[in-house]
Amino acid sequence: MTEAGRRWFEEIEVGEESESPGRTVTETDLVIFAGLSGDYNVLHTDAEFMKSSIFGERIAHGLLGLAIQSGLFSRAGVPYATLGFGTLRWKFKGPIKIGDTIRVRARVTAKEEGSKPDRGVVTVERQVLNQRDEVVQAGETELIVERRPAG
Amino acid sequence: MAEPPRFYFEDVVLHDVQETPALTLTETHVGLYAGLSQDMPAGPGLVPELLPLCLTTGLGWRIPQPPLAVLAFMGFDWEVLHPVRVGDTIHSRSHTAVKRSMREGGVVVEERQVVNQRGEVVHRGRFTFLVAKRPS
Repeated sequence: MTEAGRRWFEEIEVGEESESPGRTVTETDLVIFAGLSGDYNVLHTDAEFMKSSIFGERIAHGLLGLAIQSGLFSRAGVPYATLGFGTLRWKFKGPIKIGDTIRVRARVTAKEEGSKPDRGVVTVERQVLNQRDEVVQAGETELIVERRPAG
Repeated sequence: MAEPPRFYFEDVVLHDVQETPALTLTETHVGLYAGLSQDMPAGPGLVPELLPLCLTTGLGWRIPQPPLAVLAFMGFDWEVLHPVRVGDTIHSRSHTAVKRSMREGGVVVEERQVVNQRGEVVHRGRFTFLVAKRPS
């Protein structure tokens, strides 16, 4: 473990699974994300327009769901000594609506050597689930994780 | 009441490169984003790595053309090449690589890059959207 209680590359095992606590996505989240990102698409901001859409109401920005799951992932099990993302492959499978409670379920599928000796690459498969256990987002992320320093 | 202008599947031009205006990343962006998502930067002075990705869509809104009539954001592939720091000024460069007509709307695949103030491509990837066709 690092001093901050995070796990080194060596301490992460292929096949391990974790699940985060839930988080309820609110109207405030959508409004703040629209303001921060500048993405005012009617999907997320126009309640009247969305009444006649297939969703029947405003839906969260897909990337808001992605950001929230990233925060939730850090609360699922003991966090890694992550230096950053390498790659992400992501699919949006269903809408996140105001009032939905989402959580992330993750599984480590691979570990590889990194580009430098002080780091490795951990591949994590993730599913974002809502309160009905429907998968609303899913993907695969490669995380760059610090190795335990020698000596 | 007239419909607001939207950019439909028929309006999308293949390989047409679009450059957005730029945005300087501040501590305020990091604070708002981290407060909202609990997704933290990997180190001091850095921005959370998903933040530039989250900002690219809004940067696209600053190009003077009607917004793309997105029915659904289907997914993306993304690659983080270089760190992005507080104080960096980023913009987005994109073009449509694939256009495929479907019965309901059409699929548009867009190649997108995040470029910093030194012209370095710091992040890049591909976005896939389902876009509405012009109502007949």
